[in-house]
Amino acid sequence: MAISPQQALAAALAGASARIDAPVAPRFKPGARVHLRNINPTGHTRMPRYIRDKVGTIERDHGVFVFPDTYAVGKGEKPQHVYLVRFTAQELWGAEARSNDELLVDVWDDYLEPV
Amino acid sequence: MSIKHNRPLTDIEIRVKALESLLVEKGLVDSATLDALIDTYEHKVGPRNGARVVARAWVDPAYKQRLLSDGTKAIAELGYSGIQGEDMVVIENTPDTHNVIVCTLCSCYPWPTLGLPPVWFKSAPYRSRVVSEPRGVLQEFGLNLPDEMRVQVWDSTAELRYMVLPERPAGTEGWSEEQLATLVTRDSMIGVANVQAPAK
Amino acid sequence: MNGIHDLGGMHGLGPIVVEQNEPVFHHEWERRVFGMFLPIFATRTFNVDELRAAIERMGAPAYLNTSYYEHWLHAYETLLVEKGVLTQAELEARRTQVAQENH
Repeated sequence: MAISPQQALAAALAGASARIDAPVAPRFKPGARVHLRNINPTGHTRMPRYIRDKVGTIERDHGVFVFPDTYAVGKGEKPQHVYLVRFTAQELWGAEARSNDELLVDVWDDYLEPV
Repeated sequence: MSIKHNRPLTDIEIRVKALESLLVEKGLVDSATLDALIDTYEHKVGPRNGARVVARAWVDPAYKQRLLSDGTKAIAELGYSGIQGEDMVVIENTPDTHNVIVCTLCSCYPWPTLGLPPVWFKSAPYRSRVVSEPRGVLQEFGLNLPDEMRVQVWDSTAELRYMVLPERPAGTEGWSEEQLATLVTRDSMIGVANVQAPAK
Repeated sequence: MNGIHDLGGMHGLGPIVVEQNEPVFHHEWERRVFGMFLPIFATRTFNVDELRAAIERMGAPAYLNTSYYEHWLHAYETLLVEKGVLTQAELEARRTQVAQENH
């Protein structure tokens, strides 16, 4: 039952992608303005608090992946799109922040609502 | 194989030995497998891999385009792939934009190209500050960027793994790929440093 | 979870300390903890999201006062017991035995 050295090295080289080949439709397209939902989960989430309730722009659609918020607590993979979202530094940190700095953060479809 | 210590074990050493021995006893893990994985990630996988990717992109414009449009596939062309690098995105530094990468929530890092992350990358000070004061953090690393340059901070919150393609320094015209790779540092591929021009 | 691991934007966590020519592992025990990652995953006892969640459940004082690989060790111990692969009693008994053998 224990994985052998050769099996382990092969597994390390192959990796274990979180991508899921499922025909899930994206809710947003690149260029769309999105609002990060104001959620306060007590369980696992990959939405950092510094983007919660903020507005950004969809930069890229990475495709469909496992959703950690459910998968971490035995509630299934809930495949959905993951997007790269662009935020201005001023949106996140206030008017005193640099006007030409930006942050790019990967977010799951469930974290977003349209603006 | 047990190592003879000439001092009592610390609590954490006791916990680790206990866990490994229980898992081995239950037939769940093989100590030789641990040894092989440790050897691979301690000695075989590291930033020299990423340096070769960068050098290839510097000398081969078509490769660079492939790298920027499908990082995973282009990196795999050089034989680098696998765990914590299954979905790679490479972002290039340009004269007007500087990129820097972090994982604020934990320690996500592209193992196949950069190896295992340094302690500072995984620690609270970097993770907390680079998103809100990137220029201050970069200055501490010795990188002073002009005001007009845009800074982009990439927070690896999902399973995409990011790597910076730093700018090729001046004074390297005609250099071979192998020579160029020697200049590329891990820190330049995280984005807390640029690649230094060769000393004259 | 609004946990301590969610560090982006926090203040007061101290200076960024960089060790020059840092080794990949600082202690032998760190090597073993790292080496266990893939083999334990291969048993399909838990997934990487559960691992991260277990680390997040450490609580703020423990999280900040322990090192990176100690976080992984905590997650392995917690999840292997929660999932019924090991019992807390077995772990403690083995620790006592290891401590006595290495006294």
